[in-house]
Amino acid sequence: MKRFTRMVYKNPEEIVFGRAKFPVSQRWNIQFGAGYVVPEVKVAPQEGSEASKEKMTGECRNIAQSACERAVSIGLPTFMLEQEHVFQQTNNPEWAAECTQIQAEVLESYHDEYDIKVSLRQTPADIRLEERSPGLRGSDYDNKVEESLEACAANGASDICIESMGGKSVSDYGISRGDIKATLFGIGVLGSIDMEYVWDRIVNICKKYDCRPGGDTDCAQANTAMFMAGGLLDKDIAHTTAALARAMGAARSLVAVECGAIGPLKDCGYENPIVKAISGVPIATEGKNAVCAHSDLMGNLIAGVTDVWSNESVYHRQEMGGTTPEVWLQATGFEAALMNTALQTETAETLRDIYTLTDKYRDPQALILAYDNAYRIGEAIINYGKDPYLRSRAAALEAGKIINEASEAGKLYLTRFERDSLDSALKVLEELPMDADQFTDECLRIYTRKVAEFDPKSYEL
Amino acid sequence: MSYVEELESQLDQNFIAIRYNVEMEGPAIKPESDPDVQNILPKEEPYKSIATGVLYGDMEATLNGVKEGLEEDLSPIDIINNGLMKGMDAVSALYTKGFYFLPDLMLSGDSMMEGVKECEKVLGHKSETKATTVSFVAEGDPHDIGKNLVVMFLRANGYDAIDLGRDVPTEEVINAVEEYKPIFVTGTALMTTTMTVFPKVVEELEKKGLKVPALGCGGGSVRKDFVESFPMSVYGVEAYHTPKLADSILKDKKTWKELRKEYSEIVGEFVPEYA
Repeated sequence: MKRFTRMVYKNPEEIVFGRAKFPVSQRWNIQFGAGYVVPEVKVAPQEGSEASKEKMTGECRNIAQSACERAVSIGLPTFMLEQEHVFQQTNNPEWAAECTQIQAEVLESYHDEYDIKVSLRQTPADIRLEERSPGLRGSDYDNKVEESLEACAANGASDICIESMGGKSVSDYGISRGDIKATLFGIGVLGSIDMEYVWDRIVNICKKYDCRPGGDTDCAQANTAMFMAGGLLDKDIAHTTAALARAMGAARSLVAVECGAIGPLKDCGYENPIVKAISGVPIATEGKNAVCAHSDLMGNLIAGVTDVWSNESVYHRQEMGGTTPEVWLQATGFEAALMNTALQTETAETLRDIYTLTDKYRDPQALILAYDNAYRIGEAIINYGKDPYLRSRAAALEAGKIINEASEAGKLYLTRFERDSLDSALKVLEELPMDADQFTDECLRIYTRKVAEFDPKSYEL
Repeated sequence: MSYVEELESQLDQNFIAIRYNVEMEGPAIKPESDPDVQNILPKEEPYKSIATGVLYGDMEATLNGVKEGLEEDLSPIDIINNGLMKGMDAVSALYTKGFYFLPDLMLSGDSMMEGVKECEKVLGHKSETKATTVSFVAEGDPHDIGKNLVVMFLRANGYDAIDLGRDVPTEEVINAVEEYKPIFVTGTALMTTTMTVFPKVVEELEKKGLKVPALGCGGGSVRKDFVESFPMSVYGVEAYHTPKLADSILKDKKTWKELRKEYSEIVGEFVPEYA
């Protein structure tokens, strides 16, 4: 497998929304990273739709139709519809097939009638359970995930993605206890190993169909950290620790690209600006127009280098302004229009910098994802590019350095909890061995004992 | 100075973003210097050292204190109640005030649980708990961090929290209710289409004539209006609310209907979902 040991971008100023070094083309005349930003909408099937295949396919058709109707009624030139599958869709691959097919038919009919550029992203759920033998590899659930991915690719998905869960048992333990070693092992080592297993398979499936391998996100790990870190007054985990987990997540999510994913990388990967800086592939991100799904502290900044602007997810229901596929596509659609106006008027870099400065010092998690800092973390990763463990560690150390610099310059203020958590995490990280095998052996000794669900066999360890 | 640095230099952050957590931070004090903690912590040794060990999440110090106490023939029950649990009470007080954070709670909880295990070795059986609870993640849902937190909070507050794991079939939940007769059941889900398990659990319990005072339901996509559309249930907002709800069932005999009505008062804080 090719590992990234050089930055595709020569400097951070080159990176901007709507443009990627390696644009992606799909059917229905759509491109990503080719000079314009594509708005995305994603809507979760409502409760009760899982009762039968007919209900679920009807639900998926309604979501697609509503989005298409609003897109043409407000004049969107382009949009992406993503369907993140619920358990029942992945556990029943024939459901995945029919849901994909019906959404593809709806999108194609609007493309044919209006010439609107559309994309259909399908994301089966990672339903594998590590603690249930035989674990992440070769179980019934694992086979269902594979079959569902193929069902989507074969039935009209423009691209397929997943949010793989490898390493989550250990990273959950680490994140909730402030144990940075466990967090690094869960994300950087176990997560990266599982990504290779998952993504080699996805890329091989896509080769058989007119379907692109999109990308993966560290939703199960770095987003868990961000979600638990919450707002400024929340009492769960330190925002500095969540920032370090995010930096590690970039080294882990890069594996999908190394296996052959071409993007746009999946939306809830807040680490995507770092992966774009390294690899040049287009990315999806979410921020201020994803408040329907969760809160973050970088709602504008994360738009700075995006290529697909998403709402993350929302219940399928009615708002005052229409149904949620309509309302939230309108929200992402108008934001994308702003970015596309900037691109057309050659003011994209200015808008990017304004987006960035609105949030850069709001929180350490935002600071490290500002495009200049994302680039620095990318450089730290490629310096150890061939070693998933060392590059994850390097990413976290660089993120810590960035936070300390801003703190020392009086630009970013930290609470004692954030400061203490950062200091102790950096001390642990600095003292870790420079040999991946040694680190893995140490962690296996500790975490097989402490984390009941952790099964090394799932990672061939 | 680069163009971006020049832009940055023009900014007054007070018009853009204020880190209120930093603004509101009080003076740094040692955990044991907090007046509430001073009232909670025992004065006598080895209980004081054991409780302080728990307070600092220091497993080694906690276990040393516990072993020392057991060697002195102190009652394991006294060590649990007067040492380990007092330490955890102090931790809860600091968490409620915002001086302690989740990792503090988790490490203190781990220390306390290890101390309890040492005591149980001498007792020869499980120590007495406040009551039994059952926790599960809905069938089809692999997301379990919320459930793990709920279990930790319940155990740290003296409950025998039975953990059924994730992706748990409804039948297993019913069997557990039959077997353990819990005072409180908690169910968590992340997806809209897995939270539909909760009314099914209630339906099956009713079919079998089984009753629990309340089924607490929470998690990423779980909504209060959905949870309140079927009986026996209460919408749980934060994992750390769980022991307070369980306490109110145990001590004040609150019903699920009362939990819904008095949620904010029971958990002792403003909860927007219940406003």
